Amino acid sequence: MQKVLVVDDEEVLRMLITDTLEDLENVEIHTAENGLEALARLSADHYDLMILDYMMPEMTGIEVLGQLSVDMKSTLPILMLTAKAQEVDRNRAIVAGARYFMPKPFSPIELLQIVEGILSDNG
Amino acid sequence: MTMANQAKHSIKKRYFRIIFSVFALIICSGTVFFIYIQNEQSSLSHKREVMENKADTINELASTLKEVFFRARGYTSLKSDNELKLLNVALLNLDGVLSTYSKLQLTAEEIQFNEQLSAFYVQYKSVILPTAIALVEADDYAGLRALSQKGSTQSVNDFLAYTKEFKQRADNALNVMDRDSIKQAANFTLIAFMFSIVILLFFTIMVWRILKSLIDPILRLEGATHSLAAGEGVLLDKLKKQDEIGRLYEAFHNMARSIQDKEEELMMQNEELHAQQDELQDQQSRLQHSLTEIESMMKALDHSAAVGILTHKGVFTYANENLSGYTKYKKSEIIGYTYRLFELSNFSSTDMQQIFHRLNTGGVWSNEVQLLAKDGTLLWLQLSIVPYLNDEGEIYQYILIANDITSMKSVQQELAETLKHTEQTKMMLELNNQLNHDISYTLDKQEFADKFLHFMNRFYAFDSSFFLLVKDKITAVKGIPQAKVDRYLENDNDDMLYRLQMEKTYKIKRQATQSEQGISAEDVYCYDFYTTVVNAENEILAVFCGSRIGHSFTGEEINEIEGMMNRAALAIERIFIYEEIEHGRMLNRDIVNNINEGIQFVHTDGTMLHVNKALCEIFNYYDWTEGTLIPKEKWKEHFIETSNESAELRLFYQKAMSEHTMDSSSMQYSIGTEYLKHIDVYAIPVYRRETRIGTLFVHRDITREYELDLMKSELVSTVSHELRTPLSSVLGFTELLLSRTMKPEKQLKYLETIHKEAKRLTDLINDFLDLQRMESGKQQYNSEHANLSEIVLGVMDQYKLSSTHQVLLVDEAHHSEVAVDKDKIIQVLTNLLSNAIKFSPDSHEVRVHLHNEADRVIVRIQDSGLGIPQDQIGQLFQKFGRIDNSASKRIGGTGLGLAISKEIIEKQQGTIGIDSVEGEGTTVWFSLPNLHAEENPQEDDLNKWGTDKDNKLNVMIVEDDYSLSLLLSEELKGKGFRVTHHYHPEQAFEQALKTPYVAIVVDLMLGEELDGWDLIRMLKDDSRTESIPIIISSALDPTDKDLMTVVQKYLTKPYPPGELSSTLTEIVKIRQGTGEVLFPGNH
Repeated sequence: MQKVLVVDDEEVLRMLITDTLEDLENVEIHTAENGLEALARLSADHYDLMILDYMMPEMTGIEVLGQLSVDMKSTLPILMLTAKAQEVDRNRAIVAGARYFMPKPFSPIELLQIVEGILSDNG
Repeated sequence: MTMANQAKHSIKKRYFRIIFSVFALIICSGTVFFIYIQNEQSSLSHKREVMENKADTINELASTLKEVFFRARGYTSLKSDNELKLLNVALLNLDGVLSTYSKLQLTAEEIQFNEQLSAFYVQYKSVILPTAIALVEADDYAGLRALSQKGSTQSVNDFLAYTKEFKQRADNALNVMDRDSIKQAANFTLIAFMFSIVILLFFTIMVWRILKSLIDPILRLEGATHSLAAGEGVLLDKLKKQDEIGRLYEAFHNMARSIQDKEEELMMQNEELHAQQDELQDQQSRLQHSLTEIESMMKALDHSAAVGILTHKGVFTYANENLSGYTKYKKSEIIGYTYRLFELSNFSSTDMQQIFHRLNTGGVWSNEVQLLAKDGTLLWLQLSIVPYLNDEGEIYQYILIANDITSMKSVQQELAETLKHTEQTKMMLELNNQLNHDISYTLDKQEFADKFLHFMNRFYAFDSSFFLLVKDKITAVKGIPQAKVDRYLENDNDDMLYRLQMEKTYKIKRQATQSEQGISAEDVYCYDFYTTVVNAENEILAVFCGSRIGHSFTGEEINEIEGMMNRAALAIERIFIYEEIEHGRMLNRDIVNNINEGIQFVHTDGTMLHVNKALCEIFNYYDWTEGTLIPKEKWKEHFIETSNESAELRLFYQKAMSEHTMDSSSMQYSIGTEYLKHIDVYAIPVYRRETRIGTLFVHRDITREYELDLMKSELVSTVSHELRTPLSSVLGFTELLLSRTMKPEKQLKYLETIHKEAKRLTDLINDFLDLQRMESGKQQYNSEHANLSEIVLGVMDQYKLSSTHQVLLVDEAHHSEVAVDKDKIIQVLTNLLSNAIKFSPDSHEVRVHLHNEADRVIVRIQDSGLGIPQDQIGQLFQKFGRIDNSASKRIGGTGLGLAISKEIIEKQQGTIGIDSVEGEGTTVWFSLPNLHAEENPQEDDLNKWGTDKDNKLNVMIVEDDYSLSLLLSEELKGKGFRVTHHYHPEQAFEQALKTPYVAIVVDLMLGEELDGWDLIRMLKDDSRTESIPIIISSALDPTDKDLMTVVQKYLTKPYPPGELSSTLTEIVKIRQGTGEVLFPGNH
């Protein structure tokens, strides 16, 4: 059973992502509504993928990445979802340690395919 | 010389030392002698004792030996045993004596004797005696004789002889010894005597020497004293001694010297006296000589000068020829008359007093006097008066000497006049110079005019004058009232100008006016002179007019004045040019200084020539004053260090100022740490006639543009983010719906979400556009008169059906008339109310409060919700400035509501603000200007309750029709009540528990669940609220008879509002009168 952590402050988007990924077999989906909760979950459990929103109150996605250890970043694939779709933001996310990047609005089908790809690579 | 030294060298001390040493010497040598003699005597007596002892022992030996032989012979002859016994005893004694002897100090001879004796003794005892005894026993006398023949008897006799001899020798020795000791004693006495003589001799010598050293100088001193007394010179060597004599010597020496000095001084004084005597004699002879001289001089004086003698009372007793010659009075006319005969015309009576005073005190008085001769001519005399004093010091006569100096005096006067003239000419020249200087250096027109006029007045003695600079109407005036000048300037002065245009100079002779005439009895004429100052184009620059009373103008003067005018023309033109330049310069400076951009002009060598105010402010640099040059190092380092991009700015300056740079360049830098100033600077090389003269730098503060730019890009980024989030949901769920098959419930849920998000998107876009429109000033506000209470009630009406929150209005505003755009205010209220509801999820009440403060109506919307952190309140009114945390995110909203509200309120002269405590709740308030603030509050009976804000009486209206509610509340507020509005029975009841109401007005038809009757029941069933009077306001006729008993008043709609207020007034009056509220049911 593989585990995916979805971190987004918008409840609607969390629902959209979990619903999109619910068809995947042997995948368990957890959600966190802010950076602190995400960090708590990451330290408590092992995850195979984190889908992280960029713009969140209190702690941005980049800040969450800053809190993660180098070890964690090298093993955990991170997919950054963001409404800030400029090149600068993309680069910033990659530098901070995100391996994948998707601008909002995104296509759920495309997201599903990417997540499937990542998880099968891991498996 | 110190005291110690003195003591060391003192005679007393020396004498004492000598005595002491002699005494010590005697004691020492005496002691040594005594010890020595004592020693010698003791050794002598010892020797003597030894000798005597030895002699005694020898004697004893001899007697013992005799005894032995006596006993032996006795025995041999008597053969008696007793004799034998005694023999043995004698032998024993001999033995003892021998041993004693051997122990003594013995000479060699004696030792030998001792040994022989001992040997004989042993022989005798051991051999001879036993043999003799045996022979006795045997009575063999022959044997005995033979035995004695053998020598034993002989040796005994020898021994005895020896002892005898020895005794004699010992006695002799003793005698010798005695003699020796006596001799020795005699020797000692001699030595002691000699020694004493030596000591005495030494002592005598010492004493003699001391005496010598004492007496010699005393003798010399005596000699010196004698010679001093004889008055001869005292020549004493300096004594090198420091003892008492030495000091005496010194003191004497000093005394002698001072006596000699005094003597010399006396001698000198004496000589001086002699010289003085000589001089006196000399003087006497000279005095006599001069007396004769004086006599001859007197004669000469008599010839050359006038001489008169007056008594001490001033009566002439003598006058010589000259005196009568000068004064033309005969001698007889003078003598016998007082000095008053001659009148001194150049002295006043006070001067005379002084002269008398001087003379009376014995002083000589001399001066030039002018007096009137008998024939009436004026005389100038050099007059000297000498008072003569008698022995008592009293004046007994005066001598008067006078010389005629009339001719000299007239020459002198002529000379003085010439001098005065020269002085005047000099002054004129100086004035001319001054004028030249003034008009060449004065750059101010008024100053020039004043100076010029002043000069003209001094130079040409105008009594009144006037100088006008035509173009600027600047005047300089002397002797003319200002009012007159003003009148002239205001009215047309064309007449004069016209004439002056034709005729450059003219003069007028006229009758003097009354004031000019002054006290003069005759007719006086005045001469006015008019002239102009013209430039090269013959334009009149200035006009000069001057009047002289009684003096006309000579041709020469007119020419001179015209010349002056030409000079003035040059000066005025120069001032015009200067002013033009100055004006241009000031204009330039004002432009440069008032421009927002910082401007800096730098010479090619790096020196800063000019910097304007704006640049100084940018760099905080105030070292520059106009006209100074600032070296490169001074300004450049300051500028570069001030900026945050020092290296870049340095490079920019370097490049821009380089001679090879032909084009203009620019860069941006920032200044400051906390509040960054962004500056854009561009440099332009400046050329003058093909030559590069420097570089112009223009620094422009672009902080605002920079920040706007930043804000704009941030806004774009935020807006795009805000738009993308709902878009993501819409697109995402749509795609899911399209690509998947799912249950209808889920489809519905997705569609609902899509709808909600799309709506959110629309709201966002609408709000954003609204705000854009408002901010760009395109929003139109349709201001109309409205009642704010009514608007609030209207908005509240929309929330009546809210299931979660109840909105309560506390209306205290007497005047709520405002001029606003009603729709916009409704938008604000809706926004604020929905915010209050959204952000207080755990509370059920939102309170709206209306009251007046000064000339404003204030609306407060108060919730007890999440609250806002203190540091974030400020940013709430910014776009998308909602509190950024998870809780607020869940609640949602566009984040533009407050920004829009602020915009609307501020556009209508209102203010808006937020007070909040995090976790306790938030109050958003806004105030609007009240239209009827100036109206006096209604004077009413009940107004006394309404005056004090805190003591207002509360009335609750429970009514779901807001227009009626409003109507009632307006009426009640007018009477000074504080009105609380409710429309929900349950919440109204809860409110009644909290606030003491004077009465509650209840509508019977309320909601669907509970009606007015339910509320009344609740109130009456509770002990806390049962005493509150209740007034029913209903469209229905009273039905429930039971409850009617507890109701104070039943008003059937429609009824005039005055009926309600009068009912309430009644209730209050009853309460005030009795202290309690009366209820109908209690009767």
